[in-house]
Amino acid sequence: MTPKLEQVHEKSKRYDWGFDYARPNPKFPTRYLIPPTGKDPFRHLIRDYVRMESEKDNRVYGALDADVRYRNANLAEPRWVEAMKFAVPCFTDAEYQAVTGAGFLIASVRNQELRQGYAAQMLDEVRHTQLETALRRYYLKNYHDPAGFDIGQRALGNHPIGTLARASFQPFNTGDPIECIMCLNVVLETAYTNPLVVALPQVATVNGDHALPTTFLSIQSDESRHMANGYGTLMCVLQEEANVPFLQEALDRHFWHQHQSMDTLVGVVSEYYAVNRPWVYRDVWEEWVVDDFIGSYMSRLDQFGLRPPARLADVARFVDDMHHSAAIALAAIWPLNFWRIDPLTQADFDWFERAYPGWYARYGGLWERFAELSDPAAGRLLLQDLPALPPFCQVCHVPCVMPRIDAPETRIFTHEGTRYAVCSEGCEWIFGLNPTIYTGCANWWQRFHGMDLADVIVALGYVRPDGETLMGQPHLNAERMWTLDDIRRLGYEVKDPLAA
Amino acid sequence: MTVPPQAHTPRSLVAGSARVTIEPFGETFDVEAGESVLGAVLRNGRHLTHGCKHGGCGVCRAMLVHGDCRLADRTSYSLSDADRAAGVVLLCSTYLDSGDIGVDISETMDVSAAAFTAGSSVTAHECVVDGVTALTRDIRRLRLRLLDPPEMRFTAGQYVEVEVPGSGGRVYRSYSIANPPAEPDRIVLIVKRVPNGRFSAVLDTGLRAGDRLRVRGPMGHFALRLSHRPMVMVAVGSGMAPIYSMLHHLAARDNRRRVTFFYGARTDEDLFLLDELRELERAHPWFRFVPTLSRPERNAAAWAGATGRVTDVLARQPGTLRGHEAYLCGPSPMIDATIEVLLALACKRRHIFFDRFVPTG
Repeated sequence: MTPKLEQVHEKSKRYDWGFDYARPNPKFPTRYLIPPTGKDPFRHLIRDYVRMESEKDNRVYGALDADVRYRNANLAEPRWVEAMKFAVPCFTDAEYQAVTGAGFLIASVRNQELRQGYAAQMLDEVRHTQLETALRRYYLKNYHDPAGFDIGQRALGNHPIGTLARASFQPFNTGDPIECIMCLNVVLETAYTNPLVVALPQVATVNGDHALPTTFLSIQSDESRHMANGYGTLMCVLQEEANVPFLQEALDRHFWHQHQSMDTLVGVVSEYYAVNRPWVYRDVWEEWVVDDFIGSYMSRLDQFGLRPPARLADVARFVDDMHHSAAIALAAIWPLNFWRIDPLTQADFDWFERAYPGWYARYGGLWERFAELSDPAAGRLLLQDLPALPPFCQVCHVPCVMPRIDAPETRIFTHEGTRYAVCSEGCEWIFGLNPTIYTGCANWWQRFHGMDLADVIVALGYVRPDGETLMGQPHLNAERMWTLDDIRRLGYEVKDPLAA
Repeated sequence: MTVPPQAHTPRSLVAGSARVTIEPFGETFDVEAGESVLGAVLRNGRHLTHGCKHGGCGVCRAMLVHGDCRLADRTSYSLSDADRAAGVVLLCSTYLDSGDIGVDISETMDVSAAAFTAGSSVTAHECVVDGVTALTRDIRRLRLRLLDPPEMRFTAGQYVEVEVPGSGGRVYRSYSIANPPAEPDRIVLIVKRVPNGRFSAVLDTGLRAGDRLRVRGPMGHFALRLSHRPMVMVAVGSGMAPIYSMLHHLAARDNRRRVTFFYGARTDEDLFLLDELRELERAHPWFRFVPTLSRPERNAAAWAGATGRVTDVLARQPGTLRGHEAYLCGPSPMIDATIEVLLALACKRRHIFFDRFVPTG
């Protein structure tokens, strides 16, 4: 008779080191008291886990094969697929940082049940990284405009969005191990996993792309295990009252920061890079982040003294506007992108006005200008209309036009002799918690100060194989693409807005 | 993952519904049309391990031991063919189309009998009456102190069942708790006397300080939601009780969210706890109290406040209720009318929470 799973699981846990003969030095220190007992809610043995995950993988690769036969990549809306050039590498960065994050946790947390969960998570994140790389390869090989997919993760790394991604995801594996869990498992994987991994595929589907939903739904089937790791760890450390103020600070910090990057990213992609829109991003945010994460998940932690994030009301305020500002900012810097932007039409304006009353008065004119200038014959860039380039926030790296381009809450200050900009009070507070985390990163414009825009594009590597045509374009017309010469003719010099 | 707001009225057996038996506990539940097995279990206050509730995470595994069921399509990623063939189901995505079924969780979940029933945390308490006060001609405040067990942990908005003295433990009446959760050693109830009411009869004639009462609780899902949203609260009659508990709970918790409380009564003689509510307003800038009278012409004294039915006053208030939450307590017709007004003012249906007060007699 096969022994019960729980019995085998309990037995396997007995194969661990007792450390009663030596004092184990923590490899990575923590300021939290971690009780030795926890509870692994996902009892599994490696042989069952591997079989299950292997079948999941087969389904995804099989579905991608079918998508090739159905020519799905070129039947989907190109406006949407262009966004995949920057979105998929972003997610891949997150998955990879989570691989090392889970490994970091295995090495840090001396609680055997919890370590089981982290081990499974690490394997999951490896699978997710591979799936997303396979998804990108699928687009690269099957979409009619592979430029931008072809230079791999380097494309993202050189772009401001790359800095945003790195700043957002590095806290998965850097710093106090318990706070890594707060950032990754609790905030990102519990609050934001639904907008990212469940809601975004809905946008893909209504815009004709079946490859992303297939991949992401397979990824999502593992996310609940990661949420359980977060919850399990929280339940464990909440047993010690001394940990609560640290947890509160970690929650406040990571909730603000992840909101700044994730709400902006998903809001931009789901509303501005779609022709068909199944919902308004703000409504998705309300349902998944407020009603589910705050209203349901966090309410269970209330009894231990953990409160909802301090800046929740400000986050709600920013969610209404941030992605609109970010989208037009990305359109303004289109020559520095590695994807093409399809100009918005009247149908798009109508949708935005209905969903966000007042949108046209604030943003419509800029998008009309963008469309006006999209043909190279126009001989001018939206950038040239701006009085100055916006600095990027030293903490979250969004452009400092937040939440609204006409009412930014930017703060500029000097710290140890260097000028920095932050986009908001929330980021200013985060900077103050530990400036060393943030001061090591150069401001994005700094390297290019004084350079011709064309030379910046060459330095970034965002030129197509012919050595002349830009990867980034302000339209989807393959016949009328901008070249380096078109840019040089403008004589536009990049000026770092924070330069003395 | 959001649990929909539960109405106070008990659910009755729906003709044609099927039943699920959960082994190894041997408990059987009705499953309503369109409801998943997990939904039925949770609705009945039992606990089983679950996660996403939409077939994605695979946590709510069980073995099908008898009967036929339908698994929703969304389980294609999370339940392997081998598992499916072996009779594994995911309870959040299991639907009963043809008759009763039995499932067994002993091999698939780590849930003890105690944990299974822990979803239901109702306890019985012996209490002593500290006092009965007439707040208006038909509203009474009943103050109870818990003796055994001496504490009951509840959330603001919940109710208790009070045993009618002399009924031999057979007759109970439900009343919402009016004091805040920070006082787990006592229960304050606001009771509206109803003609021929079993408990009403005892309240005025047979209940004095020092008398003993038995109480069961806490019950109910009417509760404040954690969020950033400003709130409107609407109540009439003894519907004041859970709102009063919520307000004091918010006050104790350093609340910052705006709260506007619309309370409807007929004449000024039907208003009560006015001083306490005005004091709350003075102490907390986030709180605004709007009492309204539908029959001000019958007042004893001049009235400078709002007039009309509470739903009309709510409808007249300036601005939209977009992004607000609403908490309602009172008789069914008032709840239904208020919901219509709220929706017309752009409040979302899923952000409207209510507790229907149905007199039992």
